[in-house]
Amino acid sequence: MTEQGGRSYAPDLLTELFRDPLEPGYAAAARRRRSEPTTAWRRRAGRAASVVTLVALGFLLAVAYRQTVAAEPSRSAVRAGLVSQIKQREAENTALAAQAERLRAEVTRQRDAALSESAVAELRALEAATGLGRVRGDGVVVRVADAPPDEDAVTGAGGTNLGRVLDRDLQDIANALWSAGAEAISINGQRLTATSTIRAAGEAILVDFKPVVGPYEVSAIGPGQLERRFSRSAAARLLRSVSEEYGMSFDVRRVDDLTLPAATEPQLRYATPAVDPTVSSSGSPSPGGEPSSSPSGGHR
Amino acid sequence: MIAVLALFAGVLLGVWLDPTVPSALQPYLPIAVVAALDAVFGGVRAKLDGIFDDKQFVVSFISNVLVAGIIVYLGDQLGVGGQLSTGVVVVLGVRIFGNVAAIRRRLFRA
Repeated sequence: MTEQGGRSYAPDLLTELFRDPLEPGYAAAARRRRSEPTTAWRRRAGRAASVVTLVALGFLLAVAYRQTVAAEPSRSAVRAGLVSQIKQREAENTALAAQAERLRAEVTRQRDAALSESAVAELRALEAATGLGRVRGDGVVVRVADAPPDEDAVTGAGGTNLGRVLDRDLQDIANALWSAGAEAISINGQRLTATSTIRAAGEAILVDFKPVVGPYEVSAIGPGQLERRFSRSAAARLLRSVSEEYGMSFDVRRVDDLTLPAATEPQLRYATPAVDPTVSSSGSPSPGGEPSSSPSGGHR
Repeated sequence: MIAVLALFAGVLLGVWLDPTVPSALQPYLPIAVVAALDAVFGGVRAKLDGIFDDKQFVVSFISNVLVAGIIVYLGDQLGVGGQLSTGVVVVLGVRIFGNVAAIRRRLFRA
């Protein structure tokens, strides 16, 4: 291919590269040296420059090696530091939650001692209805869990897992349970109140800004037909089809004598009671609360 | 012999001084090493061919390191730093393999 129509073509770059990796400069320099001998001074200067270059090369290799070796521990050290910080904060959080629980029990006891019998009963009923008090009763537990990730066994690359539980699924379950007559709901031990949120942040699902991880257990206390009504709801049908199609696990079972924890007291910053609390509370005297006075009553 | 000693002295110097590389220069270090290795293997091959030239070696070393660094820097600015680094490594890697093959043929006749 070098001769065509009398013109010679140089081989292309890659062919040249693969065939003769040596710098043509060396050959040219050798030819030059043969034609005009260099002086001794020049030769010595060149030798010195080579030596300096080799020192620089050794330096470069050593620095690069040390850099590579040093970079790895610092990276994992940062990671380990962050992990331990998270662990520590979680432990602190748990301890503070336990303390808050203790103090709340203390407050309840003191209040019960200070108030009259009927006022205590009324407060208890209100707390149970709003989610601020522990409640017990028969109900259902809805258990949903992510499908196992369908990772490629060879490359380890996972596609999007369609069987993942989304915040929407938990919202749907909670809404369906409310509309099936549930009077108290908790997700993984987080009681839902009137101000509860279920939302996603990245891959995590937050209930009231606290992360919950799968498998998700939505417990609800409600009437005897709660399980049947929930199973017939649109949300349950959708989740069942998702679980059949994508391997997400979903089951509903009746559980007797459930105990749902109290929610943390919401800090109301902007809303203040508009009427005298004693007047408004007398409107819902039934203990346990009607569904209409239950949290997030907007399901109808 | 002097060359090996100089290389060794450089390594010792690097270990002894243990300089901290500015984080801005860190991405260029591996590329600089590969470029330097290309110049070195070229020099070794030329030495074995009997046409080694000090000036040629020094100039090729410096220009290799500089050009590789500039290409990667340009790539970083253009948003294709990773790809250009790969390109530099491939080209220099091919040259290194070619030169090492030539050295091997000369030393072991195989």
